[in-house]
Amino acid sequence: MKNLVQVAFVALAALGIAPAAAQKTVNAYSIWPENWARPMFDEFEKATGIKVNFVRFSSGEALSRVIAEKNNPRIDVLFGGPVETHAAGIKDGVFESYRPPAFARLPARFKHADGQWVAIADDPLVFMSNNKFLKEHGLKPPASWADLLHPAYKNTLQMADARTSGTAVTRIFSILEVNGRDEAKAFAYMRKLRPNVQLYTKSGGGGTLPVGLGQAGAGIFFIVDALDTKAKGYDVSISFPQEGIGTAAEAIALIKGAKNPEAGKKLIDWATSPAMQAHFARYKINFVPAHPDVAVEASLAEVLKGAKIFPIDADYAGANRKRIIDRWIADVLNLGS
Amino acid sequence: MARPSGPARAPSALTRSLADPALSASVLLLWGALALFVVYPMLMLLARIFWVDGALSFAGLRAVLTDANQLRSLWNSLLLATLVGTAGTALGLGFALAAERCGLPPWMRTVVDAAVLLPLISPPFTTAIAMIFSFGPRGLITYDLLGIKGFSVYGLGSTLFSETLTYFPIAYLTLRPVLAAIDANVEAMALSLGASRWRVFRTVTLPLAVPGLANAFLLLFAASLADFATPLILAGNGFPVLPTQVYLQITGLFDLRGGAALSFVLLGPALAVFLLQRYWVSRAYYVTVTGKAGAQTRLSTVAVWVRGALFALCAFTTLLIVYLYALLLFASLVKAFGANHAWTLDHYRHIFTDGWNAIRDTLIIAAFAMPLGGLFGILVGYLVARREFPGRRSMELISMLNYALPGTIVGIAYLIAFNDPPIMLTGTALIIVACYVFRYGATGIRATMALLAQIDRSLEEASQSLGASTATTFRRITLPLILPAFFAGLGVVFIRSMTAISATIFLVSLSWTLITVKILNDMTELLLGPAAAYSVFVIAVVFVVIALTSWMLRRLRAGGAPAASLLGG
Repeated sequence: MKNLVQVAFVALAALGIAPAAAQKTVNAYSIWPENWARPMFDEFEKATGIKVNFVRFSSGEALSRVIAEKNNPRIDVLFGGPVETHAAGIKDGVFESYRPPAFARLPARFKHADGQWVAIADDPLVFMSNNKFLKEHGLKPPASWADLLHPAYKNTLQMADARTSGTAVTRIFSILEVNGRDEAKAFAYMRKLRPNVQLYTKSGGGGTLPVGLGQAGAGIFFIVDALDTKAKGYDVSISFPQEGIGTAAEAIALIKGAKNPEAGKKLIDWATSPAMQAHFARYKINFVPAHPDVAVEASLAEVLKGAKIFPIDADYAGANRKRIIDRWIADVLNLGS
Repeated sequence: MARPSGPARAPSALTRSLADPALSASVLLLWGALALFVVYPMLMLLARIFWVDGALSFAGLRAVLTDANQLRSLWNSLLLATLVGTAGTALGLGFALAAERCGLPPWMRTVVDAAVLLPLISPPFTTAIAMIFSFGPRGLITYDLLGIKGFSVYGLGSTLFSETLTYFPIAYLTLRPVLAAIDANVEAMALSLGASRWRVFRTVTLPLAVPGLANAFLLLFAASLADFATPLILAGNGFPVLPTQVYLQITGLFDLRGGAALSFVLLGPALAVFLLQRYWVSRAYYVTVTGKAGAQTRLSTVAVWVRGALFALCAFTTLLIVYLYALLLFASLVKAFGANHAWTLDHYRHIFTDGWNAIRDTLIIAAFAMPLGGLFGILVGYLVARREFPGRRSMELISMLNYALPGTIVGIAYLIAFNDPPIMLTGTALIIVACYVFRYGATGIRATMALLAQIDRSLEEASQSLGASTATTFRRITLPLILPAFFAGLGVVFIRSMTAISATIFLVSLSWTLITVKILNDMTELLLGPAAAYSVFVIAVVFVVIALTSWMLRRLRAGGAPAASLLGG
């Protein structure tokens, strides 16, 4: 009996050792959902022979893990996610500066000056509403932030929860920008919006399907999620507020103390160049490419025409992230019912 | 090894255990394992909460206890658990009465038992998914059938409904044997003495069933208190509960200390329930001694209309369960539920290609956890029930600890304890296996002790006085006798390894992930097709494995472990 237990424990200890890598691999946490990250990583493997070993986490979860594992990093690259996530990680010293070949070609807002992160795509927020819902209530697609306060939306909006989602953080900073960074005004708006919110979802795209199905009337999402919902055949409208709405660069970063730094750098080189970003259109991923040499796909450009979109200041957002989220939890989230 | 026969105790437990190398080795091994995987993580958790910068501090706990919102989620958790306990026990009692007192036709009994098994072996979220589809603002029932607009599915009501449906089978399986043990002739006698049926139920049946009812209530209370999956999907933002708050605090804000302090607040009620159940309810069972059971009375103790009502209740609930699971199966087989109902096997293709890693990891982990958990259960159960050694009682208590506490607490404790030196296990399969073994293996302890209580010690003593060593006696005599408990333990550990999430959500890593975590991910991304397909797959696998273990049990002809022991927490 005792022997059996011992044998089992030895076998278990062997199991505990992570599978040895025969092939060249790079380990990553992907903030992009699997259905977008996987084709990109498959293409990367085809191009370089390096396999990407990854798990998907929402941005808050991914950053939390990276910080928790600081003394013993499990991954080499943090892939995707709104840049404010990466900006927030800088002060915890979890990233290694790295300037890929594309660095010089990128505009200033698509890179951290020291190369702590580099952008791989741009992702504006949009309003997305269910057409049947709009018709039932005799509404037009919302065209300003104030439109969302209309009583017809009571208890019908879905948007992301700032505790876990970068989409939510970008949204909150958009509202701050629109209100000239006047926190009192911005939070007054969010408190007014609260009764119309049915649910704050754990991930950024979590509300898209409910809006598509009509479980929710409308919501605020990244364009990539919204267009994906539309492409699936759901009857939704995409609109932009006239006051403007934020866009977040999607970034990539090398982890400090990475076990496979060379492979990690190769992934960053590839992801920041047209080599990867030219694949967006092919896989119907509606990110706006960050690299100036990659053209915006025609139908995406059509949607974006005339929209007022402004970048979120990564430094301002990174520096104030925690305080603003805490205030959002206390003043907005817990206001309801 | 000659030993005085009869009930005389050995002079000293210590000298006796020292004289038996196999015993002392197993005891030491177990203590080592318990110290590492139960005591150490708990101490690290407490240290993280109360030991700040080298000094004792209650600031973290105070911050939680003075935060109105956190207090509200504590209150919500307790309210929800109380309601689920009450509603689930009532529903379970209805089912048990129908099964034991109303002559439920055999075919109906089979249907009911099969339907009732479903929620017990399902991964989390399954009823929650089906609930949203049925009762959401555009739900099949609320919108399409009843035409209600703007119905809000999120909140206390639907969480309560979903949890009650998920957990009432525990009450049913607890109460059925209790009712079966109450001799119906006692009720018939009271009836023939002129008491009304209601009076018989109130003054005879109910008092005899009280310990069973209390037990069922406490089991459900604990299950609801620890449930993290259902509220995450259904409670919405207006009804925060503690386990969900703890998860968001840690994964979202990376506030490990805050999350730990929050989870500590959960510890109080959970321990209270555990101790109540252990020291009060388990001792209060009544036995109706009536001598040889007489011919079964034909006098029905249940009025015809009550019988009809109970049947209707059973039929309605069973139909509801079947409907919810049919919906889940349907969602796994169509392109996009609610939008495009063309048949497809794409979701199954997806889970066996892109999701294959999670499936493989889960099966490997379950395959390791199952035998180890089963062994752990019978070993502790046997040692505690049959052997004398110092610290016997504390070993029993400590080995039940991880089982009694909500998974969230155990998961966080493991995360804190094994993320840094000296013992770094995060990112390995071992940490997940250990979590399952020490959490769910504990269910085998009770089953083993209950079985051993029915087996005369003299059997083992005979073997030993004939010269067999402790190890040989255990292997040749005791083990075959307690095999049913072993298989019951195997069943529980396997079910839980396939379906648990509350603890292991904190322990998955790049190398080792789990199906349940995939389901959660798909649920939050609202990829309902894959989420439903994973759930159907898990249910199918668990069904097959449980059928196999039951078949083994039946072949061993040992009467079978009580069904309730297959539940776990």
